[in-house]
Amino acid sequence: MSNILELRDVQTFIGRFHILEGVSLDVPEGEIVALLGRNGAGKTTTLKTILGLTPAREGELLFEDVDLSGRHSYDIAAMGIGYVPENRAIFGDLSVEENLRIAERKKGDLARKSDFIFGLFPDLERLIKLSGTKLSGGQQQMLAVARALVPDNRLLLIDEPSEGLAPVIIEQMMEAIRALSKDTTVLLVEQNFIVASRLAARYVIIEEGRSVKSGAMADLVDDDEAIKRYLGAA
Amino acid sequence: MTATTDAPAPAPPSANRRRADWFKGNRTRMMVIVVLVFLFGTALLGIDSGDWLVTILRSLSVAAVTFLVASGLSLIFGLMDVLNLAHGELFMLGAYVGWTVYVRPDTFVDALVPLGIMTAAFALLPLWRRMVKHLTMSPRLWRVMTWVVALVGLGVVILALTWFPFAKWNPDVYAESPITYSIALDTGIPSNITPAEFDVTPVVAFVVLLIGSALVAGAVALSQVRRDPGARTEVKPSTWAAAAGLLAFAVIVAVGNTAITDWLFGLSTTWLFFIALAVATLFGAAAGAFIEVTMIRPLYARPIYQLMLTLGLAFIILELVRYVWGRAEFTMPAPAAFNGAGEGCPASGVGGIFSGCRILEIGDSRIRIYNELFVPLVGLIVLVGVSLLLKRTRIGMVIRAGVQDSEMVEALGINVRRVFTMVFALGVALAALGGVIAAPSVGLSPEMGARFLLLALIALAIGGLTSFPGAAAGALLVGLIQQFVIKYGQVGIDLPFMDEPFKPSPPLVPASAVILMVVILLLLPNGLFGREDR
Repeated sequence: MSNILELRDVQTFIGRFHILEGVSLDVPEGEIVALLGRNGAGKTTTLKTILGLTPAREGELLFEDVDLSGRHSYDIAAMGIGYVPENRAIFGDLSVEENLRIAERKKGDLARKSDFIFGLFPDLERLIKLSGTKLSGGQQQMLAVARALVPDNRLLLIDEPSEGLAPVIIEQMMEAIRALSKDTTVLLVEQNFIVASRLAARYVIIEEGRSVKSGAMADLVDDDEAIKRYLGAA
Repeated sequence: MTATTDAPAPAPPSANRRRADWFKGNRTRMMVIVVLVFLFGTALLGIDSGDWLVTILRSLSVAAVTFLVASGLSLIFGLMDVLNLAHGELFMLGAYVGWTVYVRPDTFVDALVPLGIMTAAFALLPLWRRMVKHLTMSPRLWRVMTWVVALVGLGVVILALTWFPFAKWNPDVYAESPITYSIALDTGIPSNITPAEFDVTPVVAFVVLLIGSALVAGAVALSQVRRDPGARTEVKPSTWAAAAGLLAFAVIVAVGNTAITDWLFGLSTTWLFFIALAVATLFGAAAGAFIEVTMIRPLYARPIYQLMLTLGLAFIILELVRYVWGRAEFTMPAPAAFNGAGEGCPASGVGGIFSGCRILEIGDSRIRIYNELFVPLVGLIVLVGVSLLLKRTRIGMVIRAGVQDSEMVEALGINVRRVFTMVFALGVALAALGGVIAAPSVGLSPEMGARFLLLALIALAIGGLTSFPGAAAGALLVGLIQQFVIKYGQVGIDLPFMDEPFKPSPPLVPASAVILMVVILLLLPNGLFGREDR
């Protein structure tokens, strides 16, 4: 199995702060990989570094064997990487439809994908004319994921999809991520270990800006000691 | 569309319910607007109806010009978080450029040649980037060299420009001053404009100017490559074509100078006015794009520097205008279609709008057609045009999204920087257009920029800083309050407990706009249309 994304000893600074001090990870094509770690460990920064929003200063980033360093964010995204940020970043002034249409990279992307997207999130079709600010938290999260599905992305970076959502919505969101992962590789940041362990086949743990442990999720679930050490509670 | 949900969808809120919610959420806003409408409405009681109509139309005129400045300011601030303090001076520069095309087409044609040559050098930026990319220098030397090349280049450009004919124009000599030319155009008596000559062989001037411009462009390339090693260096055929086209244009204009000048002088002032509008708007767009790419873009990480840079730019433009066009205030005659005073004038009735007269009489009102009808009309056209651009086009959608979160727009694979450049160009173009539109009604002076920048900033604060409809509403209120204070300064208001009518003194005119802003911001801290989160 080939890796769609590889990071080798990536270092990132934000201003003078050394946030990532050496992150290495592999994302095999077609899988869901969970990026785990405590608050402030550098998970979100890792995603932003992949997209070039906080560019790496050192190290190697390869997406489908193409070097990403020095490229502009819009260029990296256009290579086929979708981003669902932590705060969802829905455009409040735009309607649900416009929020989806703005993500088109070719004319007709949305028309081609709408059956699939509205199949995952039937609510969105009903709310299509509503403005982004009028959506509930769960609906915003669905829209953020749907937006990343409009163009033909090969990899999705999803940051905290379960954060602040009601349990029943979390179930729906997990269902959707499982369904979309049939076509798209996913790198998932998730605080909720139960959600992460049920979705992902592989994991990478980041601690204080370094990747410290990785492997198959099935092994981690039984490793109480590692869970306690790296993630706090089980 | 396919319905896929099994569960019955909750019924959408009824129209009545939604309307009720909207009023609830906007109660303060509605009350402020109702109070203001009431205030301006009651003015009808104190002022006779003819005066009232004219005062309203004058308010719309001031509002339109303020809006043309404020709209660009608001778009630029909203999308890029750049408060462009040079916006007022760019508005003024637009007015002066428009005046030059309108009153001195010969100078305008003369200026096209060096302009074509200089833009050609900048069109070749990818080529310069490619040439400097392989230089090996320490980072410090690289910085120093950038400045050395830039300054040497600027020196050469300025030297070459002094050889061109238009440099012979001295606005401080009365016979050559802008006032004299404006009067000559207005009275129809042509002033004796004699074509000036080059100091050196024209070809030498062209070549030296091209070399100087290439050096300046080279300095820009040096700075771009240092900051962004991934900058585009391939020289596309279209780049060559653009540069060659610009050079060819310069040569054609240089050769056909007399013919083009004669043709422009032969046109009616109405045509010339619209040419001036188009030229000033294009000039504004080009200046905006140039400023964004070369000066604003390197400083997005340092907002304070950006603010200081735009302030410095404002002073540079101000002094440049004083140097080129002189310090004195002067007028710009209104175009022929709005300037008639002969037989059949003033026109009366609504049909008289197209009579070509300067003044239109409706009822007891004497309306100046250019100032009080045409200027507001242009403001309205721009309002509708830009609103449609924002609401109906993809680029407008990207701008609206970028105002909220430009990083996320970029993360969707959209080149936000290019959109930044376009919006900056659009904003400055609107200001320059506003300058030309305003010139025949308020005149030209180096101080007009600061005056309208202040009005525009007040309008933005009232409207909610980043809101485009807010800019329009703010400009309208600023125009109304100022014109009504002026009017009441003439007729007085009967206030209870006062023996004589109260007449606001002239200093209250600018103060009234500030007071209005303070009152509105006390009631609505985010302005009329501002969002809570800003």
